[in-house]
Amino acid sequence: MAGLSEGMCPGLDEVLLRSLRAADVKTVEDLVSSDIEELARKCSVSYKALFAIRRVLLAQHTAFPVSGADLYEELLSSTAIISTGNPSLDKVLDSGLYTGEITELSGGPGSGKSQVCFGVAVHISYQLKQSVIFIDTTGGLTARRLLQMLQTETSNTEEQMEALQRIHIFRLFDVYSLLDCLHSLRSGRLQQASVGGGSVKAVIVDSVSAVIAPLLGGKQNEGMSLMIQVAGTLKTMAKDFNVAALVTNHVTRSGSGEVQPGLGVSWSHIPRTRVLLEQVEKALVSQSTLRSATLIKSSRQPCHIKEVFDLQWWSRSKEGSSGKRKLDETDS
Amino acid sequence: MTESGAQLFARLEARRCLKDIEPRLFPEDGGPNHGEVVELYGTEGTGKTELLYHLLCRCVLPVATGGLEVDVVFVDTDYSLDMLRLVSILDSRLNAGRPTGSSAASSDEAALRSCLSRLLVVHCSSSSQLLLTLHFLETSLSSRPGLALLLIDSISAFYWLDRCEGGASIAKQEEKLSKCAELLGRLLRDYRITVFATCHAIRRSYSEPSSASTSECDRPYLCRRWQRLVSHRLLCSKQESANNMAASAGGSKEQRRQQVFTVHCTSSSSSRTKAHRSSSFYVTDGGVEFI
Repeated sequence: MAGLSEGMCPGLDEVLLRSLRAADVKTVEDLVSSDIEELARKCSVSYKALFAIRRVLLAQHTAFPVSGADLYEELLSSTAIISTGNPSLDKVLDSGLYTGEITELSGGPGSGKSQVCFGVAVHISYQLKQSVIFIDTTGGLTARRLLQMLQTETSNTEEQMEALQRIHIFRLFDVYSLLDCLHSLRSGRLQQASVGGGSVKAVIVDSVSAVIAPLLGGKQNEGMSLMIQVAGTLKTMAKDFNVAALVTNHVTRSGSGEVQPGLGVSWSHIPRTRVLLEQVEKALVSQSTLRSATLIKSSRQPCHIKEVFDLQWWSRSKEGSSGKRKLDETDS
Repeated sequence: MTESGAQLFARLEARRCLKDIEPRLFPEDGGPNHGEVVELYGTEGTGKTELLYHLLCRCVLPVATGGLEVDVVFVDTDYSLDMLRLVSILDSRLNAGRPTGSSAASSDEAALRSCLSRLLVVHCSSSSQLLLTLHFLETSLSSRPGLALLLIDSISAFYWLDRCEGGASIAKQEEKLSKCAELLGRLLRDYRITVFATCHAIRRSYSEPSSASTSECDRPYLCRRWQRLVSHRLLCSKQESANNMAASAGGSKEQRRQQVFTVHCTSSSSSRTKAHRSSSFYVTDGGVEFI
């Protein structure tokens, strides 16, 4: 809702503005929707001048239509598929995270969502040498864990430090700071983060439900509106800057008892791809690190593809030594 | 408002009627006529977007491959248009229509480009921008007589944003969408285009869906002005599919569970009494396949 103000376009001066306000035309929408002939008569201004102003305002404020062919060309040249580093997970995601889209990982507690996010961040910053923005809303991210994962990739401390520097971390715990952070990223910080070492290729929000779920329910609409605003900002950022957005979500039980992602029906339309992580039932060892990823929403692949993967994949020893590494307990 | 002779001609000249856009979806001779609005309603994962791509492809493909060759405007309100998926469907339809082994890659490219050039995509990020964009599209409508279809995906994207902005009064909450619906109504009358819009469900159904009755969650919730515009309502839902035994005939390892989607169409335009039709389809790599 843009209000009319002086100098917005040539011809819109103080006098005209006052007479428009007297005729109850206060915003751009009012001006564009009203009958120009009648308005010109009421404000005693020439029809031609008012028509010209309307045309300029319309051109300034509307979204410009793009031909399908141009859009396709642009997409072909700018869309990238970012591997998660784990081939089984990549298979579920149709070869990886697509830029310009939101991908959602949902799962219960201990299902490995945060570990997957860390693994993806480390893979992008070390293997692909690109920057990552990590927004942590649960407090579960520690630099020590990231360093641990990097130490299995390389033993060169300089490379480890470089890779760690490419991961930009934001810690926030409520939805307003999340919106602020996303807005500031859109208006310049994303470019700043790209300076000195690879452009930003992914924005990871772990987890988006932690800040939104407390606001939902009850009779207030503000929670739903904030959720849609977060979604809109993330999507626009993903599209405009060609980054892949990865968000995590909790799970709830549906009426029939099966597990489904949280945040309700209105959120379910937002991510383009949704994956559900679960513990593998028939694990022989009680502390198994195997998880299953099921595709529950995708525009490219048939749903319910399931793959089992190992959470330790991102911290496996890659330099040829034998024996499995034990996952350390997370620091308190 | 004065208009030139050319604009008048472009406005009154018959735009392509889309009655036969998909006879398997609509009741007997009940496809969307000039100036009618079709609403596709359903929860997530019920095939609405796939149906939209199917109808879009039918419109932009050349007549030789089974299309209607009309221009389409796609208003994208929640960045849900997946161009890569759309192009793969177009590709498979173009290839299916061509005899094997006849053409080179360049004519494929050219055919694809000409199809895509009939599509205009606009992104809107708020209902005010949607209103202004519809005003702007009026000029496109008057200059392109080949433009017969307006696709909106989705009309309910700003529902929660508007409700919160409107505060306590319902009239204020619905004001913006009402204005958009009013403008759409005028465009439909003046330019005789057809509109298809998707509407996301906001409530999940917890009960067993029965075939003919509309349950609590399928009731329309957008403003009254929009509901009055809608003449055909397509209720999309997912069928709980049994394991497709035919696919595993011969003991193949891959047991494909073909997810079947059902669409229930309710037509209630002024000239006819209410008519119903149910159809089912599943989704393949080449798009929607009706059963």
